[in-house]
Amino acid sequence: MKLKINRDHFSNGLAQVLNVVGSKATMPILSNVLIEAERDHVTLTTTNLDLGIRCKIKAEVKEGGAVTLPVKRLATIIRELPNVDVDFSATPNHQVKLTSGGSNFRIMGIGKDEFPPLPEFGDDRAFTLEQSELTAMLKSVAYAQSSDETRYILNGVYFNFKDGKLSLVATDGRRLALTSKELEVPEDAAGSIILPAKTVNELQRMLDKGEKLKVSFNERRAAFEIATDKDSSGLIDSIYLYSKVVEGNYPNYQQVIPKETHQRIKLERELLQQCIHRAALVCSEKSNSVKLKLSSNLLEITAQSPDFGEAHESMAISYSGPDLQVAFNPQFMLDPLKALSKDEVFFEVKDEVSPGVFKTLESFTCVIMPVRLS
Amino acid sequence: MPLTTIVHLDADAFFVAVELARRPELRGKKVAVGGGRRGIISSASYEARAAGVYTPMPSQRAIKICPDLILLPHEGDYAGVSRQMFDLCEDVTPWVQRNSIDEGYLDLGPCGLRSPEEIERVVRRLQTRIWDELKIPISMGVATNRLVAQIASKLRKPRGFVVVAAGEEEAFMAPLDIKEMSGVGPKTQTRLRAQGIQTMGDVVAMNDSALSALMGSGWREFRERCAGRDDRPVTPEREAAKSYSHQQTFREDIADRDRIESVVKGMIDDLMAKVRADGKRMRTLTILARYGDFSQESAGRSLPEATDLETAFYPLIQPLLAKAWRHARPLRLVSVRLSGVDDSPAQLGIFAQQDEKRRRLAGIMDQLNAKGRGSGLVRGHQLHTMPPPNTLAGPS
Repeated sequence: MKLKINRDHFSNGLAQVLNVVGSKATMPILSNVLIEAERDHVTLTTTNLDLGIRCKIKAEVKEGGAVTLPVKRLATIIRELPNVDVDFSATPNHQVKLTSGGSNFRIMGIGKDEFPPLPEFGDDRAFTLEQSELTAMLKSVAYAQSSDETRYILNGVYFNFKDGKLSLVATDGRRLALTSKELEVPEDAAGSIILPAKTVNELQRMLDKGEKLKVSFNERRAAFEIATDKDSSGLIDSIYLYSKVVEGNYPNYQQVIPKETHQRIKLERELLQQCIHRAALVCSEKSNSVKLKLSSNLLEITAQSPDFGEAHESMAISYSGPDLQVAFNPQFMLDPLKALSKDEVFFEVKDEVSPGVFKTLESFTCVIMPVRLS
Repeated sequence: MPLTTIVHLDADAFFVAVELARRPELRGKKVAVGGGRRGIISSASYEARAAGVYTPMPSQRAIKICPDLILLPHEGDYAGVSRQMFDLCEDVTPWVQRNSIDEGYLDLGPCGLRSPEEIERVVRRLQTRIWDELKIPISMGVATNRLVAQIASKLRKPRGFVVVAAGEEEAFMAPLDIKEMSGVGPKTQTRLRAQGIQTMGDVVAMNDSALSALMGSGWREFRERCAGRDDRPVTPEREAAKSYSHQQTFREDIADRDRIESVVKGMIDDLMAKVRADGKRMRTLTILARYGDFSQESAGRSLPEATDLETAFYPLIQPLLAKAWRHARPLRLVSVRLSGVDDSPAQLGIFAQQDEKRRRLAGIMDQLNAKGRGSGLVRGHQLHTMPPPNTLAGPS
């Protein structure tokens, strides 16, 4: 195995696969990246068995072959090499020699035979999406995933392909974010998956390298083929991301989205975000809530913690409903406000124990449960 | 010379005192508070003590020893009276350390009192006030440190008032029997007495090597204490329940699982009403099962989040009871403990919006039950514990 490769391309390729390593104790090879050289490119693959990533980068391959190397250290070395041109060669006993300018490295690798192959699977159900669109959708819901491992069903984003649309949902049991877009879903292709949080993270990192992506899935696993046609640092074809899915039934989210609108107010997104952010500066772990008080054309936002002090913010709004107050965890309000990009949002409230709902004119909904006022 | 600002306050036969405050006609009689036929005496009046009743003693034995004993069930609001008692103490000084429901320390250091006489006047006034307002007799010890104050308060019960002047600590301690020192159990006593050590003074007089041979590594501290020296500060802490518990001893050992489950449920209902009244939420339920031979086992489990609703704990009852009650033998007692207090504002759950209805219902039940104690509003599973309903009122 012998090839010449651009340092920055190699580094970019490794950056794509770098985060996916398995536990060293059980299977040492899972901390390695599989490097396969053929024709005009090398293929880089990492996997932790639950999640795998594969990408291709341009290279001048003089002699094909394959080897695996510890991915974290390799990535660090490649990034630091002095010269853009890197010569890479592997001996049959898996020792790799790297040469770049005056630098020479010899690295011990492991043969490719032990490396578990990424499962490929037929197109059970497959859809093609715009990368930019999925990026925006994921951003607007991903923050609501649960990180509580005891609620593993909620540790991911729910993808629901059904009734002529794709809906993405995330919830941690206290707030829920939902967004959807129209999509042609043939009846026999309808289906849903819960994509694990870690995969969602990786997917978000991969997106926006090209126009389209293809998602295919069955009950146990999902795969994404992410086109890299907009990438200019060596990636070719597409990135392949394989993942197991969270198995189980996602809670019935439709049921918790309030059907009726009680009081609806239109708010300037950034202004509201700033007010809540400032008010929350006095919050503490023990008293982590901001109180929203609605009265005629006025929104007051207050927060306090007994040992520190209090904050009071006010915003002029258009409101003519009854006076009411309700308290929320400030983070739950800030997350959707930060994730959205529209200038205006709608916020719907009813009373101090009913959920607050953010909406935009696009199909976005974020339901937030209040903190009970004592 | 340091001032004698440390006070140990110890209520005399507290549970009995609380009951007698409710029924003064029983004052001067042989009264005890305790569980019924199979329970245990938890407090006895001094008249009853004179007849040989002590705590803890099985109620049955107490009645045998003292046939005219008036045995009262636990009915009074002990925690409430205790709180009032310590509130009165806090009128005197902010430095109040509650050790238990009926006993604690005060430090009058920050009160700006200048002479021992002044201090004594203030403490006596407090003793009188607690009696006048709550009808709880108190014994008090006043000294320069906690240890001496504590021993002094026990010296002339009931209604004792003992002041140990500054500089007199060692002389005060010297003639006292070693059994008065807390931490000296029967074994240590036997060991000490075998060497001819009877009093605190004897301990102080011993040479180092002999004492270290007897008492081991803690010998220096032990001698300091026997000499009446102690530098532990009075540490006031905010009173906050860390757990709520309830136990029930059955009249006869029972093996009926349904019945025990229902008893457990009933106890949880009672406790959660208190939890709600305190504005708290709880996370952990522990169930203890005790067999007829007093062997016991317990099992506990936590909810993902603290709750103020009893219904959230119901699903844990069966599995916990199965774990705690593993032997196929009847139980003498079950107890329930709720711990893991959370008193921060409650974040409502998105998939638990039904809970808001349950909470409203619980609030209404709590209110009705608070108006007249035992208004008799219970959940369905406790119906069998209620007296049979009156026959429908006919024309009268």
